[in-house]
Amino acid sequence: MNTQVSLKNVNGVSLSVAMAVCRRGILRVVSRPTLLLPIIFMPVIMLISFTGAFGSLTRIEGYGSENIYDWMAPYVALQGSVFAGVFGSASTAEDFETGFFDRLLLTPGSRSSILLGTVMVSAIRSLFPTLGVVIVALLGGLNLSGGLPAILFLFVASALMASVFCLFSLAIVYRFKTIRSLMIVQLVAFTSFFMTIGQVPIEFMTGWLHQVARFNPITNVLRFARQGFLEGITWEVTWPGLIVFAAANAVGAVLAFQSLRRIGS
Amino acid sequence: MNTVIETRDLVRRFGEIVAVDGINLSVSEGQVFGFLGPNGAGKSTAIRMLTTLLHPTSGEVYVSGFNVVTEAAAVRRLIGVALQDAAIDPLMTANELIRLQAVLHGITRSEAKKRGGELLERVGLSGAASRRVSTFSGGMRRRLDLALSLIHEPRILFLDEPTTGLDPTSREALWNEVKRLNTELGTTVFLTTQYLEEADQLAHEIAIIDAGRIARQGIPKELKENISSPTLRVDIEEVDRARAQIVLDSFGERRPAREGRLAVGLDGGATRLAEVVRAFDEAGISVEHLELDAPSLDDVFAEATGRRLEGVGEENE
Repeated sequence: MNTQVSLKNVNGVSLSVAMAVCRRGILRVVSRPTLLLPIIFMPVIMLISFTGAFGSLTRIEGYGSENIYDWMAPYVALQGSVFAGVFGSASTAEDFETGFFDRLLLTPGSRSSILLGTVMVSAIRSLFPTLGVVIVALLGGLNLSGGLPAILFLFVASALMASVFCLFSLAIVYRFKTIRSLMIVQLVAFTSFFMTIGQVPIEFMTGWLHQVARFNPITNVLRFARQGFLEGITWEVTWPGLIVFAAANAVGAVLAFQSLRRIGS
Repeated sequence: MNTVIETRDLVRRFGEIVAVDGINLSVSEGQVFGFLGPNGAGKSTAIRMLTTLLHPTSGEVYVSGFNVVTEAAAVRRLIGVALQDAAIDPLMTANELIRLQAVLHGITRSEAKKRGGELLERVGLSGAASRRVSTFSGGMRRRLDLALSLIHEPRILFLDEPTTGLDPTSREALWNEVKRLNTELGTTVFLTTQYLEEADQLAHEIAIIDAGRIARQGIPKELKENISSPTLRVDIEEVDRARAQIVLDSFGERRPAREGRLAVGLDGGATRLAEVVRAFDEAGISVEHLELDAPSLDDVFAEATGRRLEGVGEENE
């Protein structure tokens, strides 16, 4: 009565299990598409309201484009990705509350596969709000000086941003096992997003906010995502963003995995 | 027979609360082992430790010789688990869940399809395989949960209160499947329950847990035989109850009874029943209802813990 084992293990991670967890997450979205509405509408509404309210700001020199959509679209797309990342961990919290997570924990494979699968779902989900933002921005007259590579960079940035916030959220959900615990992540995410170059260039900021935005790692991420929309893609702007993504994903993964390992102890 | 589940001084604390307090169990291969106790006795905490979901505070657990903490993955390959709240995603279909469960256990797609079809057929869910679980009844969910726990053909099956909340028909269907798994495939079954009838029907051996401790352990028949006398239960109007208790005290030791009822272990058994009736008559006490029951697992529980198992009254009435 031995089970036929066909797990493809890479450094202890079963890719087949990760893919199965990811597939389940996608199936859930397909079976309940209304789940996607908040994460698509929130950034789209933000884009419409920000561009409507601050449409004339880009006439001031320093924005890198005279079109407000070029400036705002990457910013709200990344905020939508944060939502998508946190949302992925909210599904895990729901699994704790229904008991389904026990079924995943009873898998004989590595638990990191469960973690990887959940992050994969969040990254995929993040593409929907980004797509929504890009479509609305294009309709609004986006210049897109960087062309298709700019869009590609934005999608990559969105997926990486979602994975960062999914990992940090999972670190909390694995510990507290409730959706309510995610309030902390949302608070941190939005606070840190507003203290960046999201709405105005850093040269326009003064006092402590200028200093915080300068050293806030999300500023580099925004530059990474925004570069193709403003002046074209350069390595000087790309590498700091990649380093932030790599470091944040690594730290998030360690914290999430530690919390996951502590479950049941 | 080989011992396939063994616990040694197993303890689990949650802060100040001691949920499981030094239990020692030994389950032989091929047995149906009943773990009987009231709500909050520590059954679910114990089963979570046996199935690697919860680490013991102290003590050791071995499943098929593997330590559940240090060799958890090996244990998970051998066991099937159906937990108390049928942990099933309501947004998925039975087929999708079967496929997911198969992948989690490293079963190939073709094998999963074959086994999944057979299992759903066996638990009577073939016709509902493509339906979302949210449309399933409680009994269907339980049967699906059982099918999911069997997809990797486990040698040991853990069932945590598998029939709680089920109607009698669904309950009996699940009992039959458990019996079949045990007799035809030789699967060892570790079953927690708060239903005496379930333990009596299914278990070759039982352990009674109360307040985190094992109160009794053994073969049901032998445990019942160790209760020396049958239980006499008497319903009497409240005004006469104190005097009736004095009368009954001369026939045997008091036993726990539900409110409004008196109970004693009748020394000498059924032959003394007429004597009891005469004694009530002589004392001028009118008896509303009187019954004499052969020793049951409830009596074993009562004798071990000093109280009746929760819900027994409702179950019998």
